[in-house]
Amino acid sequence: MKKIYFDVEKCLGCRSCELACAISHSAAKELEKMISQKDKSLPRIKINFSKDKNYPMSCRHCKDPKCVSACMAAAISKDEKTGQILYDEKKCVGCWMCVMVCPYGAIRPNKKVKIPVRCDLCTDIGEPQCVKGCPVKAIVWVEETELERVK
Amino acid sequence: MKQIVIIGDSAAGVATVEAIRNKDKESKIIVLSDENFPSYCRCVISDFLAGKVSEDKLIYRSQEFFKENNVELLLNKEVIKVDPKKNRVAAEDISENKKEDKKSKSAKLQFDYDVLVLANGASPKFPELPGIKKKGVFGFRTIKDTKDILQFVTMADSACVLGGGLIGLKAAYGLKKRGLDVKVIIKSPQVLSQVVDKQAAEFVGKRLSDNGIEILTGSDVTEILGNGDIKAVKLDSGKVIACQIVVAAKGVKPNTEIISETEIKINEGICVDEYMKTNIPNIYAAGDVAETFDLTVNKTAVNALWPHAVDQGKIAGANIVGENIKYAGSLGLNSLDFFDLPVVSMGIYKQTDNHEVLAKTYPADELYKKLVIEGNRLVGAVLVGNINQSGVFLELIKQKSDISTIKDRLLNENFGYPDIMDLTQGAERSYV
Repeated sequence: MKKIYFDVEKCLGCRSCELACAISHSAAKELEKMISQKDKSLPRIKINFSKDKNYPMSCRHCKDPKCVSACMAAAISKDEKTGQILYDEKKCVGCWMCVMVCPYGAIRPNKKVKIPVRCDLCTDIGEPQCVKGCPVKAIVWVEETELERVK
Repeated sequence: MKQIVIIGDSAAGVATVEAIRNKDKESKIIVLSDENFPSYCRCVISDFLAGKVSEDKLIYRSQEFFKENNVELLLNKEVIKVDPKKNRVAAEDISENKKEDKKSKSAKLQFDYDVLVLANGASPKFPELPGIKKKGVFGFRTIKDTKDILQFVTMADSACVLGGGLIGLKAAYGLKKRGLDVKVIIKSPQVLSQVVDKQAAEFVGKRLSDNGIEILTGSDVTEILGNGDIKAVKLDSGKVIACQIVVAAKGVKPNTEIISETEIKINEGICVDEYMKTNIPNIYAAGDVAETFDLTVNKTAVNALWPHAVDQGKIAGANIVGENIKYAGSLGLNSLDFFDLPVVSMGIYKQTDNHEVLAKTYPADELYKKLVIEGNRLVGAVLVGNINQSGVFLELIKQKSDISTIKDRLLNENFGYPDIMDLTQGAERSYV
């Protein structure tokens, strides 16, 4: 399965990825319209400014996902065929168990609408928008086996 | 062909099934449940009580799941006892309405097993009080409990909850959402005394009070009053509080009765080794019934929590089909959200003289973060208001990482995975 990886040496911390993500997950799908919307669209990717570097982070779609084990509402599951971690908003009760157990801090609570915010790889669009939005190509979307080649 | 019997179809039982079927599609699996509803999300019954979630949304694994996995799921089967010498489980069919007391007449059932998994959970503790058996006193553990309460809700205008733990507060929340006057009667001086420290409890208590739930700390119920139906509860102060519903939420106890006459070792829960095996080689235990090693207090404990039940079931199941996987251990691990105040508590939340504490409190914003450190290890954390990155702290606790190099950063606003990645080596790669 193709996953998102980040090149810390390239990342400028410009947050274009966050913006691209927020837009693609907004109802409006456009920056201008999104800004005027009441319920803010929160980015699923966040840059952690740590140790003098910029570390983007989003859901790792783990092989052994802690969030799936912890989800007491059966809203988070793993698609065994694709390896992707799926989320069903209809079943979610906003208990934040997933936030509590994610070792990467890649799930955040959207307190206003009581749902966790985590990367869905923009499955509906076909390509993660953070990858497209990064001006310096610090975000790659590849199979793990291809990583060395990309590097 | 091997026959595996699993008692319980909740988190631990289902995880056991999934782990077995990962490798072994052949063995016969029988899952017994004493409930009338297939595997459901037990922790969500408070939202069902509140009217936020409908019954069909509670399903955890549907009947189809069991069919697809070639598992015989038998509902309404109450296990009476386990006979490890004969490798046999005796059960009764309780499909008939219990109230009519047809239970004694129901058919006795027997299930032979090659491997047995005790994933039969826990039950509410009812305090010994005059009137505790009255109609209108409920536990709060099952869908049936919830439906029974809901039948009373339409005729009631007020309820008392005995106990201010997580279950008690969740019941109070659900009843409040149904428009009842709700009072929570708590013996200890704070809410959630088994889950969070005093500071976090103050924030939660305030949030509940602000939303109309009355919290009475330092008081205990001595009697439930009423002829037939409940009229009131009497407190140790002598005060009488009118109510028509009482929810007993004084904690739960592991369901160990069915093995009480066996040689299976029981402490508070069923004792298991790190492979989730009891002292009888072909009997495993997992979930709320099991007593496991708590990696923060360094002794065994019953940490009856959903994520642990899933992890333990996975390990039991994998080991049944020939793996050799060790359980890393459990810990206190709670996430709650009452009226939009998120709280996370993990590991040791009340420090002793052996601990060092790092804390930040902003009372006006209802923000609080406390980290409990023992030597060079993080052993506990409490977060209120902002719970972002709490999983990163959990990872440090679980990995028993030496935090001395990052101690000065732990309370930083932007503390996160990059700060710990050299210490914990996450299983997944993030950076090229």
